[in-house]
Amino acid sequence: MPPSLPQFSAARARSYIFRLPLFTRCIIFVIVLFWLVSLQSAWDVQQWGALIPKEIGLATMYRTNTFPLVHAGFFHAFMNILALTPLLERFEAEYGTLTTLALFLGPLSTIPALLYTFAERAIGLNTTVLGASIWVFTLIAMEAVKTYRTNPNFVIGTTQIPTWITPIVMVLFVSFLIPHTSFLGHCCGLAFGYGWGLGYLKFLAPPEWILRWIEGKLNLLGRLPHYVSVDQKTYGRYGVLPTTNAPANPDIALRFTDQGQRPSTVLLRRNPFILKLPPYLSFLCIVIGVAWLLVLPLDNYSRRTYISENALLPGQVHTYFAGSDQNVFRGYKHEVDALEERSNIEVNDKLEEFFKASGLKVARQSYEYKSAGETYTGENIYAILHAPRGDATEAIVLVGAWRNMEGKLNRSGVALILTLARYFKRWSLWSKDIIFLVTADSKAGPQAWVDAYHDTHQSNKVESLPLKSGALQGAVVIDYPFDHRFQDIHIVYDGINGQLPNLDLLNTVVSISGHMGIGTSLQKMWQHSDSYRDRLQTMLRGMLNQGLGHASGPHSSFIPYHVDAITLQPFGEGWQDEMAMGRVIESTFRSLNNLLEHLHQSFFFYLLMQADRFVSIGTYLPSAMLVAVNFTIMAIFLWVKSGSPIDKSSKKGSLAVGKAGSLKALVPEEVISVRERELFLPLAVVAGSQFLGVLPLYIFNHTPQAMLSPIFTAFTSVNAFFPLIFSALLTHYFAPTAHHYTLIKTFSLLLLGLFLSSLATLNFSLAFLVGLLSAPLTYMQPLPNHPIIKGVLALLLSALSPTTVLVAGCWWWELGIGAVLKEAAFGWDVWGMTTQVVVWCVWWPAWLVGMVLLFGNPREEKVDGDVGKGKKIKT
Amino acid sequence: MRQLYSLLLLFSFLSFSFASSDYHEQLLLRPLHPSLLLASFNFQSNTTLTSFEQQNFRYFPRSLGQILQHANTRELHLRFSLGRWDAESWGARPWGGAREGGTGVELWAWVEADTDEEADGRWLTLTNALSGLFCASLNFIDSTRTTRPVMSFQPSGDHKNSTLESLHLLHGTLPREVVCTENLTPFLKLLPCKGKAGISSLLDGHKLFDASWQSMSIDVRPICPAGSNDCQLQITQTIDMVLDIQRSKRPRDNPIPRPVPNEELKCDTSKPYHSHDTCYPLDTAAQEEEWTLSQIFGHPLKGSCPLATDGVDPVCINVPHARQVYSSEGSHEHKDASGFMRCYQLDPEKEFELVLPQQEISEKAPLEQPLLYAERSFIGYGQERGGVQAILTNPSPTEAVDFVYMESLPWFMKLYLHTLKAKINGLDTHKDVIQEMYYRPALDRKRGTQLEVRILIPANSTVILTYDFEKAILRYTEYPPDANRGFDVAPAVITIGNVSIRTTSLLLPLPTPDFSMPYNVIILTSTVMALSFGFVFNLLVRRFVAVDEADQWDVRSVRLKVAELVKGKLKRFQKAQKVEKKE
Repeated sequence: MPPSLPQFSAARARSYIFRLPLFTRCIIFVIVLFWLVSLQSAWDVQQWGALIPKEIGLATMYRTNTFPLVHAGFFHAFMNILALTPLLERFEAEYGTLTTLALFLGPLSTIPALLYTFAERAIGLNTTVLGASIWVFTLIAMEAVKTYRTNPNFVIGTTQIPTWITPIVMVLFVSFLIPHTSFLGHCCGLAFGYGWGLGYLKFLAPPEWILRWIEGKLNLLGRLPHYVSVDQKTYGRYGVLPTTNAPANPDIALRFTDQGQRPSTVLLRRNPFILKLPPYLSFLCIVIGVAWLLVLPLDNYSRRTYISENALLPGQVHTYFAGSDQNVFRGYKHEVDALEERSNIEVNDKLEEFFKASGLKVARQSYEYKSAGETYTGENIYAILHAPRGDATEAIVLVGAWRNMEGKLNRSGVALILTLARYFKRWSLWSKDIIFLVTADSKAGPQAWVDAYHDTHQSNKVESLPLKSGALQGAVVIDYPFDHRFQDIHIVYDGINGQLPNLDLLNTVVSISGHMGIGTSLQKMWQHSDSYRDRLQTMLRGMLNQGLGHASGPHSSFIPYHVDAITLQPFGEGWQDEMAMGRVIESTFRSLNNLLEHLHQSFFFYLLMQADRFVSIGTYLPSAMLVAVNFTIMAIFLWVKSGSPIDKSSKKGSLAVGKAGSLKALVPEEVISVRERELFLPLAVVAGSQFLGVLPLYIFNHTPQAMLSPIFTAFTSVNAFFPLIFSALLTHYFAPTAHHYTLIKTFSLLLLGLFLSSLATLNFSLAFLVGLLSAPLTYMQPLPNHPIIKGVLALLLSALSPTTVLVAGCWWWELGIGAVLKEAAFGWDVWGMTTQVVVWCVWWPAWLVGMVLLFGNPREEKVDGDVGKGKKIKT
Repeated sequence: MRQLYSLLLLFSFLSFSFASSDYHEQLLLRPLHPSLLLASFNFQSNTTLTSFEQQNFRYFPRSLGQILQHANTRELHLRFSLGRWDAESWGARPWGGAREGGTGVELWAWVEADTDEEADGRWLTLTNALSGLFCASLNFIDSTRTTRPVMSFQPSGDHKNSTLESLHLLHGTLPREVVCTENLTPFLKLLPCKGKAGISSLLDGHKLFDASWQSMSIDVRPICPAGSNDCQLQITQTIDMVLDIQRSKRPRDNPIPRPVPNEELKCDTSKPYHSHDTCYPLDTAAQEEEWTLSQIFGHPLKGSCPLATDGVDPVCINVPHARQVYSSEGSHEHKDASGFMRCYQLDPEKEFELVLPQQEISEKAPLEQPLLYAERSFIGYGQERGGVQAILTNPSPTEAVDFVYMESLPWFMKLYLHTLKAKINGLDTHKDVIQEMYYRPALDRKRGTQLEVRILIPANSTVILTYDFEKAILRYTEYPPDANRGFDVAPAVITIGNVSIRTTSLLLPLPTPDFSMPYNVIILTSTVMALSFGFVFNLLVRRFVAVDEADQWDVRSVRLKVAELVKGKLKRFQKAQKVEKKE
């Protein structure tokens, strides 16, 4: 018969604790007491009570009894209590309180203690021991021998392992894994336990007639609560149960256990306390989720960054990019400046000439994208420096967009790339090819190039690359659009859809520029005072960028292809010149050149709060998960609630027969009856609103740029009244009951929770932001009789609608709605950005359903036998 | 190039006519654009088959000869290569690509055996023996890396018709093997002059492995002149390397390419912004670089090899006659009629040096155009699928090219043959590009995929050959220590008659498990937690029986049980004794 594992139930655990016998309680109490006493510093309890082999004499014999009761600290005491309680409880139940008392105050402590003392003295050691673990192992050994009699061995694979070995294995594990445990002490405990279990030490137990006499004289059974009598033990608390003798019909035994637990879970479901809990619980989830995020910048929750990949060795090489190369740089700078007003093709003709003069292979690629009625065309040019002894298996990319994200000419950046190309050519140590890429712009050009490099481009609009190298191992973008000296480097690292480059790449650059005396900053935090406020601000800016999922620089297009990439932007007025920037690039490339494997050691999911401080996914993920879980909890709660009968008072007292095989039980009917749920209407409403989300998604991604603003205005105004109309239509045609509304909410929240928790693992920030903005939806319900509250809530919800948030965001950052929508459409068409899908197909439908619920007007439900009939539980 | 062929052909004829056992060596230097130098070393010796079979070795290396005899190998080709030949700038490959292999190590041989199994056994013997001889991991050429090409390789030696039938061609590659000094030393030991004299004295690991491209080859083949029964065994060893002149000229103790001093910077002074601190660098490609033999190779040539047959000039240089070349005393210069070749006869005792000064010269030795440009790369991304794209361009404006394209892929790259497509000039309408195909699918962990395609490319067109594949998930023990680097895929071999071209090798990233520490820690702690929790939990939920129903385990019962056991044993023993007595 396979062992049946009763599920954990709170009621059972509670009753178990209430039924703990007397001596067990006393021991727990004493242990706790000693721990409390040891908190003060006047009297060293541990020194007083511990078993110290050298100090054992006639006068200090008490130590052999006290040492199991004294513990080294809270965890020590807690763990030992946790392990000891069930074992001791069982022992006491089996042997009776008096015997247990006699044994545990006598031989069970002293004999192992003396054994230990002699052993220690024989070896010549003097290790102090304390704690109840010695009892634990004694008792475990006893149980093991008992188990061995019924189950001689268990099978792992084909080997049969005797069960009496388990305590020894445990002792070994404990001594290996938990520091400061006494192997010898535990062994002494085990020895006694085995001795007892095998019956050699039974003589130590006091004779039964004495116990009986004491018990009778003092009437202990009557006076003491939870006392286990000597007589009780004869039969045992459990009675005679069929464990060794296989039951005649195993089916019955299974059902027996099954039936035993069902009522308890059903009872739990009807527990009024538990039924009230979920709304508070989900609110707590939101609060904890937000608080969690807010504590992340603290020193205790974030970590300093470190280089995981040892091969990188950042800043360990001497850089030689200086001297007469600066003259060359100035020459190229003049050339680039002269090209400022030229067309893309003319610029590339000239750049091709420069690259070819440096002895590199040059190729070009033209592209054309259409988005929001606009055409984006351009031509990229790139040059490949073959690794002198390499075999075109790996490559690293140095990118400089001709115009940066703001449309400024990347004058120093491109000149630097030309000079570096010439300089890198002289070195023979490159193990990977180096590709120098100059894209026409910062948005479409890099995307076209990377797509074509991996051959995933639309071939009619974007040209294939005539020249290729090996697998891309990393990309660094220079964005240096001015021609004065700079102070620090701003590192941009966000990729499309919130994907991030490997943290090692970022750390490498931070470490290298640190070596060169150049500071680094992130997320446009030009000043960072290392305060909580600044850290939080950096983190929130990073989260916003990640949540928006747009490209923040030419590097962003590389990241979806698992090519780690960052953009370096010098900023400020300082004394670092262009050559210093070149040396940072040189050193970074030397580090990347060292790589033996693709960057994989460090984190791909992180939040940065400073250039050298981060939190990893394990630390921050719970916050978004908690926000998402709040919806799920509420959904499950509403589902359970929707199954409860309408009116409990009318049915009170009626009993139903619960059947379980041949066994029957009488329970109140409301406990086991489940209300029939009417699913069609709720499912239709939720599915309908989900599908409606496709509408704005399509409209905003396929409208010409000029029409975007007006269409958005129209949509916003429609959006304001649509829930009212939707709700009115719903009430008019289908007349949903409160029951229906509950189910609508259930499904909507369930979907939202599902989407957000899966999204949290992909794009944490987006999931968190959407979760937070839709948090009020958890508490929306029809309020037909409270027009004022309804109005206030409706205003609140409207303020948190996707459209309003978009408008507010544009106002706050002083952006045009049309420009933002155009950018979004561009992201959708070119970058493969999916933020819109989340907004229109996850957030908006949930919001819509929330509004519909708020304006809902539930129909009165008829209470008749039909509705309340319910179904009988079949087991 | 053509002149070189004719020269070599001439030499080989000479050797057939008057020597049964001979040796000669030659170094050909050819400047390449821009500022590179191709150095081709060729060492060739012949021995008669009869003396070879009698183990009478003179010029033929004994160590290699015995291995060949032991493994019944009739023809052997071994290649060690590094780097990439840049066909666009450097033109056709030396020796028509016949003396080079793909990146890493490549070996193919004709083994004489009656059955396939026997051939496999001898191949195993051969690879293991060669592995020891050349300090290379040739023993890792197992069944998954061995193919039996059908169309691509033809025996280059003359085999008797009777033996031809029992010859088995086996081919193996190790794209991951890094060729280095430890392979060069045994290579030089096979030479009669062992790198002490003659052109082989120039070979130095530091210079050879600093080359932009290098290839070492050993070919052993039988030659039977028509109408003669006197067969010979020929061993040809070649080393080809492309050296960067500027890099080689840097002193060994200061190899860092520091920026040149401002005064030495060559600037375009015609630029309006030119000043003392602004410089537009001048293209120096128009000038011929200045170099000497000892600058390039670290030391001058130490006389000629005394064992080499006279009549073959040991050093030749392929430059226009207008180019100034100075040689050291005691050597004799022979100029070729073609106008681009001159050779030197050396004094066996004296050191030999060549000096080419800097010179402005417009005339250049003609560059031979390769028959085909081939480039191969991966397409797609992700951990599950990928694709391979081979771009094959026929540069000839008049002639079509017919060739065999051979891929031997590792088994974990599961090829979808139905996705194999050939586009010609961007259109896939032409059906007759692929003329013939041989395909042998892979077996997991047993053998790799072998694909041979005969392709015809019309004049002046480009064929893009693509196919998709799926990446297998390996067992965790099958990953190398640097699993995240990726797996090397051997180069494709393109055979156009006698000319062969190899593409670059590829790096295939496979889905890799996270091998890092947390993985182990979690597994260990979970196991421990499960064990201890299970134990306590078991105790908590176990049902117990009353004492009287269980077996008694006190002192008395144990004693009784032991007694019973002993009695039982005794009885059995007694019975056995009785049986014995009965017998």
